[in-house]
Amino acid sequence: MAVTFNWRRTEEILFIVLCAGAAVLSALSLFAILGTITVEAIPSLGLYFILTAENEAPGVGGAVGNAIVGTVFISLFATALATPLALGTAVYLQRYASKNAFTRGLRYLIEVLSGTPSIVLGIFGLLVLVFYLRAYTGGFSLLTGSIALAILIMPVIERAIEDAIITVPTDIEHGSYALGATKWQTIRHVTIPVAASGILTGIVLGFGRAAEESAVVILTAGYSQFFPEFAVKSNEKLAFGMKIYPLQDLVGTLPYSVYHAYENSNVIKISDGFAAAFVLIVIVLLVNLTAKIILWKYGHD
Amino acid sequence: MRQTIDIPRFFFLSSAVISALIVILVFGFIFFTAVPVFEKEGVGFLTGTTWNYETHEYGILYYIVGTLVLTVVAMAIACPLGVLTAIFLAEWAPVWLERIMRPLIELLVGIPSVVYGIFGFFVLERVFRYHVDPFIDATLGSVIPIFRDPDPSSGISILLAATVLAIMVLPTITILVQEAMLSVPREYREGSLALGATKWETIKKVVIPVAVPGLLTGIVLGFMRAMGETMAVAMIVGNSARIPSSILDSGYPMTSKILNDIGYWVSNDEARSALFGIAVVLFCVEIVFVALIRYAGDRLRMDKR
Repeated sequence: MAVTFNWRRTEEILFIVLCAGAAVLSALSLFAILGTITVEAIPSLGLYFILTAENEAPGVGGAVGNAIVGTVFISLFATALATPLALGTAVYLQRYASKNAFTRGLRYLIEVLSGTPSIVLGIFGLLVLVFYLRAYTGGFSLLTGSIALAILIMPVIERAIEDAIITVPTDIEHGSYALGATKWQTIRHVTIPVAASGILTGIVLGFGRAAEESAVVILTAGYSQFFPEFAVKSNEKLAFGMKIYPLQDLVGTLPYSVYHAYENSNVIKISDGFAAAFVLIVIVLLVNLTAKIILWKYGHD
Repeated sequence: MRQTIDIPRFFFLSSAVISALIVILVFGFIFFTAVPVFEKEGVGFLTGTTWNYETHEYGILYYIVGTLVLTVVAMAIACPLGVLTAIFLAEWAPVWLERIMRPLIELLVGIPSVVYGIFGFFVLERVFRYHVDPFIDATLGSVIPIFRDPDPSSGISILLAATVLAIMVLPTITILVQEAMLSVPREYREGSLALGATKWETIKKVVIPVAVPGLLTGIVLGFMRAMGETMAVAMIVGNSARIPSSILDSGYPMTSKILNDIGYWVSNDEARSALFGIAVVLFCVEIVFVALIRYAGDRLRMDKR
């Protein structure tokens, strides 16, 4: 048999190699980043680094306990603010709305909001919440950051909940109606319980999105070296003459700790910045992993 | 039948209305704040090359160019890599490998942008300064001017920022393109294979053409994400406002300009208006992209019918 040059076969092999090569390169670059950050972080990592507030550690940087607590707080508040709105909107769009100009407009608005560069929402928060409403929000504060983040993650949660509701089989809802249940009873006792895992996943994903966001937090939450404190103190500058801690107080967050390490790289050890980044990645990955596990364990597909 | 107020319906409707109002309020406010600069500069806001707070001149041409060059270079790196990876995962990868890689890639979407920023600034910058920049300068740069290295003592450049951006948007593109390819019905592939086509011919002539709307959605979303990215870029792009002479030169994208200046100028009416004007420009570009995606999405739905 004569060896002939087979272009079709050569092209096939060429593209298998090309695609596999691209996959390997993508995977490698992503692992290289995670690996480098971990290696660079090791000199600073430790229980002391995680559990101590920055004000208690010597020098600048040195510990991120306050930022960890702050990140968890701000993400929790943002999620708590965004979830009712997202749930209500999603249920409305999926189960109540008819196809009309309002729902089409609403969908478009939510899509636009979810694609908006975070810096745009950040400067909105800075101007409106930090400056114009500072008598109520306390300026740069946990509350300001949470509200700005809530606007950012609302579309994320809303879409995830809509996706979850879509997967609920209409047969079982019809069964509920056939038994004489009202629309609200059906939604409450059939639709939402069946979609619960998907809804929970969406909420967890929203939390993760809030924790990872950098630009918005840096522009709205400010920074504090101290653990958040719980108190109500009198303060003439604020509405009602009092300041509610920690809501109206500055709050430290991990993205800001990382950014600090970059801005003040002459005083803060580089490894401190990477360690803060490492802790932030671990938190976000754990949150996202939780979302995946919920979906795997209780999901219906 | 007794007519009562449907309280749940009222709750759901009102949360939908509040959501809509919030979005309108946010964008309305940003537009409203930016109005003075558009009144003052007119089209000159887009075409002007001077941005000076002292002389009250606000032109953002250099920043538009900065964003454009940066995003295009980033997409030039991310698109081939993302699409080829997606093809591999969707068509050739064994099931077990796909099962491992897919969740990993999904998890990596969640790496915060500020982390990419310090990675670029402290780690990748050195690699680029000592290895990548000299290499590109010596090979491509000796022939084509846009690959020359104007400042060999620094690794900070558009290419560095674009590389980091490419890694950031890679998961977005890969996941969406893979999904688009997986949604192509099996029968289409089988039909093509039964006619004697090779796997690659099937992908090229059947799967990709059918998956085009989803593929475009992935690329447009990646483009949007790259364009709007702020923290990571501002840390490594160099922030010098001029037309970059080469991709190894530094640039100044719109998002970085807003981030760097807003903290200082937020209480100055005119300067603030100008910075919000940049946000409006970014936002208008985004609206066009969202409309594009919707159009592609509609096509997708029509094709499935």
